[in-house]
Amino acid sequence: MYEGIRSPAIHVPKTMSDLVSAATRFRNAIYWAGGTYIMSRHDYYPTKDSYDIISLREIPDFKRINRTDRYLEVGPMVTLNQLASIGKQIVPDPLTQTLHELGTRIVRKQATIGGALCTPDIRLAISGTLAVLNTEIELKKLDAPHTESRWVPTGKLYDRNGRLLIAKNEVITRVRMGFDHEDFSYFFCSGNPMVIPDETVSLTLVCSYNQSVITNFRFCVTLPYGGFHQFQDIEVLARGTMLPFSAQQILRIAKVLIEAIESTNTTISALQKERVRRIFEMALHQLNTQSLAER
Amino acid sequence: MKIECFIDGKRTLLMVNSNKPLNLILMEDVESSQFNARCRDGNCGNCVVLMNDEAVLSCLIPAFRLRDAHITTFEGYKKTRFWHDLERAYEDAKSQPCPLCFPSKTLIFESLLRTIGKPSEGEDNDSSLEDETIIKELSLNRCTCLDARELVEIFNSAANYRRRRRVRRN
Repeated sequence: MYEGIRSPAIHVPKTMSDLVSAATRFRNAIYWAGGTYIMSRHDYYPTKDSYDIISLREIPDFKRINRTDRYLEVGPMVTLNQLASIGKQIVPDPLTQTLHELGTRIVRKQATIGGALCTPDIRLAISGTLAVLNTEIELKKLDAPHTESRWVPTGKLYDRNGRLLIAKNEVITRVRMGFDHEDFSYFFCSGNPMVIPDETVSLTLVCSYNQSVITNFRFCVTLPYGGFHQFQDIEVLARGTMLPFSAQQILRIAKVLIEAIESTNTTISALQKERVRRIFEMALHQLNTQSLAER
Repeated sequence: MKIECFIDGKRTLLMVNSNKPLNLILMEDVESSQFNARCRDGNCGNCVVLMNDEAVLSCLIPAFRLRDAHITTFEGYKKTRFWHDLERAYEDAKSQPCPLCFPSKTLIFESLLRTIGKPSEGEDNDSSLEDETIIKELSLNRCTCLDARELVEIFNSAANYRRRRRVRRN
């Protein structure tokens, strides 16, 4: 049955320099984090074009969680479960919710944050949430002897349609998130991106306000096959607005959002469009409720 | 690739492709009766096994991760004393999963039972789990043969037996 199927060579670097050397020698190798995405592809096994594998499991730097006064830094091989268990005081609320929504504990124990950010053809809600939280990602080019690092905002990891913009010889080495506290945060995911990607929609929204006037408003709509969408013009429109939003304002902003998504030429189904509209409206209504309750 | 691991307590030497999924290894190389079909995408949740005492989806574990690992399939689990807690819980609830998902659901229940009172992880250190958590964790298996109420009832009953067992041991 498996005649002619090649068993890929597995390289398990134990330090960063081992990794650079393996990446330089085996340029076509694939980087293996948790393996949940790669192994859930229909054509994963058996396949004739099996590339060598560089497993990132044994690099201690990649599993490190580091907290400073200003931010939290996690390595790409930190599992989603570990990240969710760090604590509510450290990990922002919408991120904790996103992590819990990504899968059950059994899957979360295996999936890693680096792997979840680097899925090539499907965007998971975590990308959008990290983008809203102004998280930065450190990318390292593994071309010996020139191993350059650069920090990029999460939003710049993907193009408008959600395609990954990381070069083949680059890996994520750190994810850095600040401790900014927002007055209101909201996360909602409808559907399961791994099972019904054509119908799934997720929204992350954070907002700060001072004496009922919105001072900061950021949100991101994530569509598994349609990338993730942040619209600065809508965010600017909301800033300076007095809370609570009126029913007309909510309808108008939701309408502007749908028009903005349509104008990006994204593949979006009618069901997703309806879900985006309703989830966004629901978020604004909850924001109204919270702001009124605090008066 | 030569891999040595322990399957149901027995030291096993496997000669398999390094990227072969564990569910296929158990089906073809070990001929475990728990596995007779393959979903190919990790979405049915019918291939749960215990790896180093933690529940995993075997279709998401490649062969190269099995080196020195301890794999417990449902057949192996049935020989342990822990199985009796769930067996009695099924009897108490007068309901049990269908034959297709029985092994997986049982092993997910077992993995949840092991988290009770475990202080190792922040989110899991409660002495009991919320109903919502139980239902969500069991949603990994997509079979709908049991409803949410039955799942919670079975879990709570098994958790009581497990607690009593611990008290007796202490």
